[in-house]
Amino acid sequence: MKSYDVLIAGAGSIGVPLAYYCAKKGLKVGVIDQEASWGRGQNRAAIGGIRATHSDPAKIRICQESLAIAASFEEEHGIDIEWHQGGYLFVAYDEQREKAFRELLKVQHAAGLGIDWIDAKRVAELSPGIAMEGLRGGTYSPGDGFASPLMTNTAFHRLAIEAGAEFIFGERVTGLDMKGTRIEALVSDKGRYSAGLYVDTAGAQGAEIAAWAGSEMPVHPDAHEGGVTEPVARFMEPMLVDIRADSESGNYYFYQATTGQVVFCITPKPQIWGTDTDNTSSFLPLCVRRMLELYPRLRNLKVRRTWRGLYPMTPDGLPIVGYAREAENLLLAVGMCGQGFMIGPGLGRILARVIADRSEDYGFIFDELTPYRKFEGMEMLK
Amino acid sequence: MRRITRHPVIAPSEGRREVSFSFDGADLRGYEGEMISSALFANGIKRFSVHPKGGAPQGIFCANGQCSQCTVIVDGLPKKACITPLSAGLKVATMEGLPVLPESAAGLASNEKRVIATDVLVIGGGPSGLGAATELAKLGFSVVLADDKESLGGKLVLQTHKFFGSEEDCHAGTRGFDIAKKLEAELRANPKATILTNSPVVGIFKDRKAGIYKDYSSYLLVDFKALVVAAGARERSIIFPGNDLLGVYGAGAFQTLVNRDLVRAAERVLVVGSGNVGLIGSYHALQAGIEVAGIVEILDKVNGYKVHADKIVRMGVPIHLSSTVVSAEGDGKLERVTIAKVDKDWKPLLDTARTYEVDTLLIAAGLSPCEEFYRQAVEFGFLAVRAGDAEEIAEASSAMFGGRISALALAKMLGKKVEIDETWVAKREVLKSKPGDRICRDLVEADEKWRPVFFCEEEIPCNPCTTVCPTGSIKLEPRRGNILDLPYFRGNDCRGCTACVAACPGLAVSLLRRIDASWSEVVLPYEFLADFEAGSMHTLLDLGGNTLEEAELLRKVHNSKYKTWILHFKVSAAVAPRVIGIRVQRPEATASLATPRFSCASEDAIVCRCERVSFGELVQFVKDNRVTDINQLKTLRAGMGACGSKTCSSLYPSVFRAAGIDPKAVEAGTLRPLTVEVPMGDLVNEDRNHGQAERDADAAQRGGY
Repeated sequence: MKSYDVLIAGAGSIGVPLAYYCAKKGLKVGVIDQEASWGRGQNRAAIGGIRATHSDPAKIRICQESLAIAASFEEEHGIDIEWHQGGYLFVAYDEQREKAFRELLKVQHAAGLGIDWIDAKRVAELSPGIAMEGLRGGTYSPGDGFASPLMTNTAFHRLAIEAGAEFIFGERVTGLDMKGTRIEALVSDKGRYSAGLYVDTAGAQGAEIAAWAGSEMPVHPDAHEGGVTEPVARFMEPMLVDIRADSESGNYYFYQATTGQVVFCITPKPQIWGTDTDNTSSFLPLCVRRMLELYPRLRNLKVRRTWRGLYPMTPDGLPIVGYAREAENLLLAVGMCGQGFMIGPGLGRILARVIADRSEDYGFIFDELTPYRKFEGMEMLK
Repeated sequence: MRRITRHPVIAPSEGRREVSFSFDGADLRGYEGEMISSALFANGIKRFSVHPKGGAPQGIFCANGQCSQCTVIVDGLPKKACITPLSAGLKVATMEGLPVLPESAAGLASNEKRVIATDVLVIGGGPSGLGAATELAKLGFSVVLADDKESLGGKLVLQTHKFFGSEEDCHAGTRGFDIAKKLEAELRANPKATILTNSPVVGIFKDRKAGIYKDYSSYLLVDFKALVVAAGARERSIIFPGNDLLGVYGAGAFQTLVNRDLVRAAERVLVVGSGNVGLIGSYHALQAGIEVAGIVEILDKVNGYKVHADKIVRMGVPIHLSSTVVSAEGDGKLERVTIAKVDKDWKPLLDTARTYEVDTLLIAAGLSPCEEFYRQAVEFGFLAVRAGDAEEIAEASSAMFGGRISALALAKMLGKKVEIDETWVAKREVLKSKPGDRICRDLVEADEKWRPVFFCEEEIPCNPCTTVCPTGSIKLEPRRGNILDLPYFRGNDCRGCTACVAACPGLAVSLLRRIDASWSEVVLPYEFLADFEAGSMHTLLDLGGNTLEEAELLRKVHNSKYKTWILHFKVSAAVAPRVIGIRVQRPEATASLATPRFSCASEDAIVCRCERVSFGELVQFVKDNRVTDINQLKTLRAGMGACGSKTCSSLYPSVFRAAGIDPKAVEAGTLRPLTVEVPMGDLVNEDRNHGQAERDADAAQRGGY
């Protein structure tokens, strides 16, 4: 039986960076995934935004780490991940939204985030052609940005294999051999593997794997569709987020990638629960209508391709990070609520410090994101 | 102007309005309604855009609305030149790098979700799709047939040659574009059928709807119960350095430019591939007055029908067997192509290299079925069938039956009690069958009475000569007992009517009659412009293209039904029975340079044309990252371009092989809508005529920008 220091279940947004940072620290790392290659769960469907401007301290801290990694990635590793520091812009078209954003600024400033209120004129400078009627302004965080999820995950995979991590693709985890409160081995449809520590980073399948250890995780995926357009010369700078809901949808957001394409996504209303990732006919007419209402200049932009991915949701919209009570050598990093891509690099580096260096700097993250919290409320900027 | 004003088979359409337009500021003229790509080619312009990566010039590649290589800026917006019609006053410009998204401040005026329901959606209006739709409509199903082209018939509309097959079953002996009209008329007569032309299906969705880009201007969702995928096939690209140069494109694109649009797209071409597409493409080039330097075939034998190959060789076009393209080179556009013999592993033997100066290299390296929608439909659990080339690459004659048979199979799935006529199945199988045996014919002797002489020596599904003979004297010699059998003259009742000579799609029948002891009269078909008169001398050839003698033309008669000249020659008795060809092309057209001129770096070959990802980059990436999943090639943007991986997907196996990975062990790429890009305004059916320009101007005035 093959054995590792750390065996990671899930070669995706979280698992692949974690594998790299652990292997770099000299740990013997294995990563197992049912897909044929890395990032083929939900990373392939990620939109690409990375922001630290959340409303809770743990996610802010993790994503600050991710931002630092993304911003220095090419310099440090010589690999382009198409990082662009375009900022995030949450737009407000009514008094209620403006008030809420301004309230939140207090929390965000307290957390040391670089985010401020900008007026309508500045919004239009950052995104020329945006609808001006009723536009009050928005909160803008110029330090945030976006990168290619594909290129980022491929880069981490490459770094991980160079650092000695082993990837086992095309094997589905079918169980955990337990002895008391310890996992003895991870069983797949093709083999058995043992490790000192098992990490569940299996995204939409995360709850399934935790369940074999007897941990019931409240992670339920819902489906979101995304799309990408043809590339055009840069005309807008930030990730635009409109959190207004209408009768058919919740928030939607889009940005122009480094290579010129506009990447977009919407939250349907009601949410579509389940794991089906096949495209539906309702996405484009809905999402495009809302985008054109906000940004009529896009009418001449051609949509190239669409896809559908899953948000592994928790009841309060926050990730689950922590050791399982039911299995002491099982670390859970699941329920990323659709933000695995922006959380992954930072969380990977932080968890590697915790695992390899026994760092105690991140207790507040474990406290806040513990699997055993009450899961009340919902994060405002989800 | 590079227009074909006279053509032996195609009548240039009359009454077309000439209009002015501009390209990069220069005033040009073209025909209203023709595709911008053709208008540009007619004006000698082949460079349409400059790629943001490396500044490579781009131009026509598929001419079929699929690949997006021909994108130009039309009145400020990037558009595919090959599917955008010309109108007076258009401002066309080279697309330099990434296009600029024009300002447009007027708010969204309106939006509308359009949905129609039907029993069956037929994707593709070629021979199989038309057949399937007709059959289903006859059975009482409501049918929506959607096709991305302006006229129905698929590739039939490009086929100016006479068809094989049998006259009663599939209009053999009739030219493809005329067959298309017959099939279309049959479907249009049925009120159960709704026909959408110029309307590509851009995606099928899990909620059993298809998205259609109707008239390339609005978005229509079709709610269907079942699906017929008859989307045809696409030309395969091949890998060699310089495969991305302007002037390297598919034989199908060439046929579109030359046969549909009557544009003299080239001066001198070299053709890769000796399948029927390459052979017929070469023939079409000659008919359009374009020289063919040769045909290159990597196999050690001709891949298409022998009658086609014989015909081409007789016209003076060499076929280079066991040969491949080493490189295509030129300064910003194709200027020369170097070919070489290959060893048993298909590696080029560079000491056999020969360089040809040509301005165009036509790729006819085979076809891949467009069956992606079928695969998706099956995955989604929909009722679906394939037909025509989407099911199996074969001749159009077989597709006509295949479409009808698939339709009946679908009707059964939909709960209709139908019987599939067994004779149809048999006919489909025979019509698509590969050529059978080669059979040597005995040499005939001239007599005082007329007699036909047959030069077809390979079993193929073809019999028009037997059906047009007014005395019934031409019969298939029963060997297999089907249409593959070869025709022979049986009996002695030939009236010299020349019907068989005119009808033979292979131009492989002559008439022979003894004049006296030393002379015979030979009658030959001729599908070129006959700008010569009786008394002129012509070089006559045998089946292998060898010169027999210079002979005098006695008279010429035009058979207007078959659009074929019938030429009568006075030939010496000794060679007359062997005469079957007239040299068309001057020998200099096929000459190579005295010394080969090339530099060869196969890693520079482009695999993904849209994003310009090279063979070398991909192989290195696969090795470095231990890639065994085609989806990961997207990291290099390969397959992420406007064509939706339609062009490069058939090349990936070569990439993995070169990286030492068995392509069979590689995970396939995921299919996602849309297959054709659609502007956002069109996706929500914004009413664009509703004064958007005025509203834009108005908004600008109010300081909206």
